[in-house]
Amino acid sequence: MEDAFSPRIKAIFDFLVSPEAAALSAVLIPRTSEQEHKLYLYLREVMRQGLETAPPPILYNLLQARSPEAQAYGLERTRELKQQLERMTGRAIEAEAMTAAIAEGNAARSVVRGLLRLRECPGPRLAGSEALALIGAWYFMDRTEYRQLARTALQEIETRGPITGPRVLMKEPPLGSRDICSMIEAQGAIVVAEDDWWGSRAVSDDIDVTADPLGAIFERYYFDAPSPRVFPSSTADAWFRQKAQEVDGVVFYLPEEDDTLGWDYPRLRNFLDERAIPHLMLRTASSERAGAFVKGLGHG
Amino acid sequence: MAEKQLESTVRAAQHQKSWFAQLREDVFEKQKPYAIVQADMPLELFHAMDIPVVSNQWWASLIAAKQLAPYYLDHLNAMGYHEGLCRYCSLSLASTLAGDAARAPWGGLPKPALLSARLTCDCIQRVFEIWAGQFGSPFVPLDVPGATELPPRWWELSRYRWSELFESHRLDFMVVQFHSLIATLERITGRRFDIERLRALMEGVNRQEEYFDEVRELICRAPKTPVRVTEQISNVMAAQWLRGGEWATSHARAFRDEVKARTEAGVAACRSERIRLMWVGAGLWHDTGFYTAFEEPYGAVFVWSMYLAFGPDGYIRYGLDDPLRALASRTVSFNEQLHNPPWANEWIVDQARRHRIDAALVLEPLGTRPSATGNRFIERALEASGIPVLPIAADMVDARGWDGVRMRQTVAQFLEGLSSSTGRDRA
Repeated sequence: MEDAFSPRIKAIFDFLVSPEAAALSAVLIPRTSEQEHKLYLYLREVMRQGLETAPPPILYNLLQARSPEAQAYGLERTRELKQQLERMTGRAIEAEAMTAAIAEGNAARSVVRGLLRLRECPGPRLAGSEALALIGAWYFMDRTEYRQLARTALQEIETRGPITGPRVLMKEPPLGSRDICSMIEAQGAIVVAEDDWWGSRAVSDDIDVTADPLGAIFERYYFDAPSPRVFPSSTADAWFRQKAQEVDGVVFYLPEEDDTLGWDYPRLRNFLDERAIPHLMLRTASSERAGAFVKGLGHG
Repeated sequence: MAEKQLESTVRAAQHQKSWFAQLREDVFEKQKPYAIVQADMPLELFHAMDIPVVSNQWWASLIAAKQLAPYYLDHLNAMGYHEGLCRYCSLSLASTLAGDAARAPWGGLPKPALLSARLTCDCIQRVFEIWAGQFGSPFVPLDVPGATELPPRWWELSRYRWSELFESHRLDFMVVQFHSLIATLERITGRRFDIERLRALMEGVNRQEEYFDEVRELICRAPKTPVRVTEQISNVMAAQWLRGGEWATSHARAFRDEVKARTEAGVAACRSERIRLMWVGAGLWHDTGFYTAFEEPYGAVFVWSMYLAFGPDGYIRYGLDDPLRALASRTVSFNEQLHNPPWANEWIVDQARRHRIDAALVLEPLGTRPSATGNRFIERALEASGIPVLPIAADMVDARGWDGVRMRQTVAQFLEGLSSSTGRDRA
């Protein structure tokens, strides 16, 4: 793949064309970002040309601009996705089954929210780099099994003493790596939240179990997914603006391949400046700059 | 820059300049509305409502050609927008943010009544939102679902079988968005949208692109190309920005007539043509002299760029019973046909064969992601067809970091290295 692709997308592509992915019947790719869209097209093309084998990709055309048209379109695509899955499995997906799956997911969400509370509370018990690993597992496990294991971790962490250090919020493209978080925490800070679907934004409120289940599932992903295609910026920024006012400082990480967050950075920087919230912008991992920034934040 | 060989090219340049002067006069003195839009937008809707449009990419190319891009992009970077961001689509914004009308081409862009963009990538909504905020004008986006039906030879379906090529749900969604855009245009103008006016424009676009199709065919068949790629672009794009209208259609015809006359008279753009080159990607707007630099020493002539060829293949839509839906089919995959697999690689290889291309130079843009992806597939496909490829890492508009001398040397080495079985033997 060209250099314009992020390491995250390249890693997903490499995995999907590897023998390890052979057991998968399909790979579902949302149109949550242009990179994901291109990932879908690249997989289709290497398979068409016979260059690689990979699980058949399915594009979930979930749009993110906030408009009645995009919302109606996304709901219809969600119905279509359900039908596609039914054809693949040869059995209908009943409303009861969806409601049960929502309930199972909600139970796991509840534990994740417990982990997030232990990061964000006064006297945090859980460091960001640890939290990212615990939350990230949510994407790769059976939700019931995840809930059980995460709850055990939660109970263990609750018995810990508080960790000290300035509280930092991170803003970055989706990374799929804890490296930057670990680097900042190595300087003595605690990353208490990140505006990233791999961390703090993996879960939000429960999905409504009393509503039409398909519609409720769609709305969760349409309204809550922190996609770079969310528009307008006032909607996209809302979570960040709230969280930024609860921390001692903010670190922006805009890696070399960034072509999106860099457009938001001056606006978000101005927001922080107006509120005298300290911030740092990194283009590469720099322990020296991160250390100086954390030192300037004091002890939190 | 090389001299203009075609009278049409001179007229196209004159018309663009006078058209923009008239636009400024209409906006400033008569308070008439105009719009700033992305190049892949359905301009026809604006034309049907008599709202002139300035294309973001056209304005950026103008700034770059006047060597103003470094000044504006430095200003943008100083505001905190980092250097890795897309420059092609943000250069015009940068010129507005700099706010130096005396320096801007032709007096600069006045305040538009609206800005509108197709959300082709993840950054364009940001560029346009910032821009709209700076002007205090509304921004109307068109969102774009991805294509899942991907027949490789799309150009064989796009003229007549466009409704099946582009998937019903995608066309339906685009038409719904068109209605919202039209409602905005009606509010701005205080006038009702006329579907018959749109149909007439769409028919005009078909005629215009048929003329371009003829020009393309003339270039394919002539022993040596009768028109340089730079003059192809000047003539085609001057008409495309005003497509379907009277001037655009008649200019396309005049261009066709002139190229045909040159072909019949055996006139070649470069009499010593020995190597036929293809330029893949957007234009190198800050150094258009690059395109003629290899004619004299190597007989290497740029014969093809996407600008002329995409006209007939990307725009023509027959069957205009529902002109809005036909227009949606032109809009819904516009950029993807040029840059994404399998469409871009298959089309470009087909074009290379038809144009008897000996070698291809493929632009690898430094900061424009929709144009920077898909290149590997294009390069591989060309090479598999026996066409040597030289990647050119450069930005379309940003001359900072561009070493024209060194790049010309690189191309010269590439041309010298072409095997003797290519164009050199044909001479």
